[in-house]
Amino acid sequence: MNSRSLVVRLMAWHALWLAAAFALAGGVIYFGLRHYIEASLAEAQIKRADRIALLVTPAQLALPGRLAETIANDFAPEASERFVRISRPDGTVVYRSGRPGDGSFDPAEISAPPRQPGVRIETLHDGTRMTIVARSVGTGNPAGCLVETGESLMPALKELDWLLASLSLGFVVVSGVAVAGAHRLIRRALRPVHEITARAETITSHNLSERLPETHSGMEFEHLSQALNRMITRLEESFQLNRRFLADASHELRTPLTVLRSELESIAQAKNHDADLRAAVGGLVDEVGRITRIVENLFALSRLEAGLAQVKHTRLDLASLAVATAEQMCLLAEDKNIGIKTVAPTPVFVEGDPARLKQVIVNLLDNAIKYTPKGGSLTLSVTAAADRALCEVADTGYGIPAEAIPFIFERFYRVDEARSREIDGAGLGLAIVKSICAAHGGVVEVKSVVGQGSRFIVALPLAAPEERNPSGAI
Amino acid sequence: VTHQVRRGGRKVDLTSKEYALLEYMMAHPGRVLSRTMIMEHVWDESFEGLTNIVDVYVRHLREKIDLPHPLKLIRTVRGAGYCLSENAAEIE
Repeated sequence: MNSRSLVVRLMAWHALWLAAAFALAGGVIYFGLRHYIEASLAEAQIKRADRIALLVTPAQLALPGRLAETIANDFAPEASERFVRISRPDGTVVYRSGRPGDGSFDPAEISAPPRQPGVRIETLHDGTRMTIVARSVGTGNPAGCLVETGESLMPALKELDWLLASLSLGFVVVSGVAVAGAHRLIRRALRPVHEITARAETITSHNLSERLPETHSGMEFEHLSQALNRMITRLEESFQLNRRFLADASHELRTPLTVLRSELESIAQAKNHDADLRAAVGGLVDEVGRITRIVENLFALSRLEAGLAQVKHTRLDLASLAVATAEQMCLLAEDKNIGIKTVAPTPVFVEGDPARLKQVIVNLLDNAIKYTPKGGSLTLSVTAAADRALCEVADTGYGIPAEAIPFIFERFYRVDEARSREIDGAGLGLAIVKSICAAHGGVVEVKSVVGQGSRFIVALPLAAPEERNPSGAI
Repeated sequence: VTHQVRRGGRKVDLTSKEYALLEYMMAHPGRVLSRTMIMEHVWDESFEGLTNIVDVYVRHLREKIDLPHPLKLIRTVRGAGYCLSENAAEIE
């Protein structure tokens, strides 16, 4: 998938904001809870320390054994996994609780008593974190003694870690679902764009009558396709206008050209004129003839392209049409010592206009003869492949450069101006071939290697089978 | 399918196109026929534009009916076309 596509960008944006919101909420929950747990633990320790402080009297201090016994009886620090320490103002320890029952920390590791009361968190060498509070015994005698109580933070931290793990898992699941959902949603929303794009790619100057699908899913896309369709309509109108102009112009030129030619011919044949004059006028007749042919070709082409030409649809055998045409043209090839090999083993029936399809074969063969040097060879073959009739003209000629191939079916296009000037023709032959093929629902393709030759392949739809008339008719 | 014609008692075999060409030229003796005119009468509209095919056929026809004969009947009128005539002076 293209990393710059709208889908990817929208999803990245979506995922980024979702992750940020989740991380923020998670962070607030985690750190808030942690702070709350630490604070409430410290609170409980303070209360406990204050109660122990009530026990610390000068009499108890004088008898440390009694004090230890009293604390053990009243508070049982070892059994409840707590730390208790009582120290004098000079730092000497009067009492220290023993190892807790679960061995979660070592009381000996806890640092020396501080000078002032306070709350601290100590990290022991095995990573155990302890909340320890120190409270002074009181203003009375024995003033300055400190009572410290502590408890491991680890059970609470473990709970917090569990919460963090749950939050992370939840984050992954929720964002996965959200991103997948967003992907689906965005793709669905963009489907009209893909449809419009795919259809727009197929519209060329030959099928301008087609229109883009006008979806009714969203206002924006509906407007887009409507706007594009209106644009195609305007294009179609201007193309139509252009073709109609060409058809009208060439039609208007035909009559005066006919008059001109017949007048010139009568001058060329009049016996009372000078021979040189008649020869010159004869040359003019040929030139007018050439113009007439160009105009006729343009007229035929523009009518085909404008869809004005009536294409007859009769069932005909393309194979025998090709063989007959090749026979009529073989003298032209023989003149250049070019052999025509015809491969049309079986009848291939198509629906079409015999005169126009013959024109296709004539134009392709004529081109092949023109652009093949003396001594070359041509192959004309007609075969049926799948649902199409293939008519192929292959030559051993000069070939067509790859960069010229996209243009050779355009009107008046010439591959090699210098060579074309020696060869009669206006550059309309292949344009006519293409138009006739299109009018028959077919296509023409070319494959060529410079110096080796060209292959023109006409593909037409096969006619539906017809048992009643196996011989066919041309 | 071949067509047979005679010139001075000598039989000449012609193809159908050569025959059609000769027939058209004989129908207009002494008249200059341009390549386009011959094209239109002897070939169908599919061949429009291939005037060199006329030259090729005329040459073949000449080889068959004029080559063995001292009197040439088919003449080329420079820049105009072809003409079938017994009298050279009539044309040039």
